[in-house]
Amino acid sequence: MKNDNFEPNIVAFLCNWCSYAGADLAGTSRIEYPPNVKIIRVMCSGRVNPMFVVNALQEGADGVLIGGCHPGECHYVQGNYFARRRMTVLKKLLDYLGIDERRVRMTWVSAAEGKKFADVIKEVTEDIRNLGSMKQIRRTNSW
Amino acid sequence: MVDQNKLREEINKIVARDNVKYVIGWEKGTYGFQVTPLFATCSEDVDKLIFNPLCIHNLAVFPMLGEKLPLRNGAKEDTRKIGLIVKGCDSRAIVQIIQEKGLDRDDLVIIGIPCTGVIDPKKINERFPNQTKTVDVEEDGKNFIIKTDEGKHKVPKEKFLMNKCKSCEFPNPIIYDVLIGKEIKSAKKPDYKETTSFEKKKLEDKWDYWEKQFERCIRCYACRNVCPLCYCNECMVDQLNPQWVRRSVNISENTAWNIMRAFHLAGRCVDCGECERACPAGIPLTELNKKLEKDVLELFDYKPGINVEEKPLLSMFKPDDPEDFIL
Repeated sequence: MKNDNFEPNIVAFLCNWCSYAGADLAGTSRIEYPPNVKIIRVMCSGRVNPMFVVNALQEGADGVLIGGCHPGECHYVQGNYFARRRMTVLKKLLDYLGIDERRVRMTWVSAAEGKKFADVIKEVTEDIRNLGSMKQIRRTNSW
Repeated sequence: MVDQNKLREEINKIVARDNVKYVIGWEKGTYGFQVTPLFATCSEDVDKLIFNPLCIHNLAVFPMLGEKLPLRNGAKEDTRKIGLIVKGCDSRAIVQIIQEKGLDRDDLVIIGIPCTGVIDPKKINERFPNQTKTVDVEEDGKNFIIKTDEGKHKVPKEKFLMNKCKSCEFPNPIIYDVLIGKEIKSAKKPDYKETTSFEKKKLEDKWDYWEKQFERCIRCYACRNVCPLCYCNECMVDQLNPQWVRRSVNISENTAWNIMRAFHLAGRCVDCGECERACPAGIPLTELNKKLEKDVLELFDYKPGINVEEKPLLSMFKPDDPEDFIL
């Protein structure tokens, strides 16, 4: 599976209040991180439906990252707790079906952690690069 | 098993009540080992009522399917109750629906029957194929007595039971208004051996297995329609904008559908096994449900369908939920 020319495609769902602002800070602080990540802003990590993740994997993502506020710091008080429960279950299910659960990652990044954001992206990109491209449930037709 | 006459007597009383619309139970099917759901509105209907180890259907699905037609001008809504005969696992489905506020407890009359296990139609049809007349099945200790055209057969129970019944933890109904028959003691514990051994396999082997299974899926959604807990007004799979799962039947969309179905039942599935029974392609859907049941129990110490007061698993949280996978 491992291919030297392989560049992973990563979709990141970042929450508006913490992780997205963290990504912004990483940008304004001129911290470098791999360009493989495609960021989608959601209002809260609790907004991320597990089908977002599955559809992303179908549509061409090799990995999915979900970013939220640290536990207890959610703008909507409890959204990230719900997201955490949901993703725990989803990862177990994916693993049981034979889809590597490491393709779905979750992270807590606050608005002040630009450096941490860059580190997370580096780590995830490296992990997914080692896993190779997602083959199992790729969509082959558009209908 | 339950005394038929006593069952009919009790149901007759309930059907005769003014505030009951109908009672849902089982009647003889047209041939073979079939049993059909029965909607009893009067005492003549009640005479057709039966309960035997072939009564496998989970009737908890029906109150959710009841159609509410628009009312004529000035007409009042029919607020009469629905009677429902439930086994142990069916009652858990009812508890789960009430917990999610899908049904109101006051709208139901629940008639509970302690159940000693039901017969797997697949297994019994294999053993006694091509039955043209309805077959009577009785229970006798550790055996089933099956009366076919060729005569009486005595077969060991263990061989024909549904897999779920072999490790059934709740043979007695959790909630009921009327209990028919005596409560039974059960020392059975849920068995997760197969799930655990499958978990330990390599990723490629797991995918090979499920790919073969999901390839056969024809996406008829019978598993959804028969499931008492799949009662959304509009299922996500039917939505066109956004279209979560596309219409084409291929491995990608089939897997997406099956992930979605299994995930939506996480922490809700009561393991009644109806999805697998209804599946025309023979996909082992209960394996997926069982896996999630096991994880939910291990991770969150939660069992669905036990307590009406409790909140559903995914709409509550604890600050110290496991988060070892988070970066």
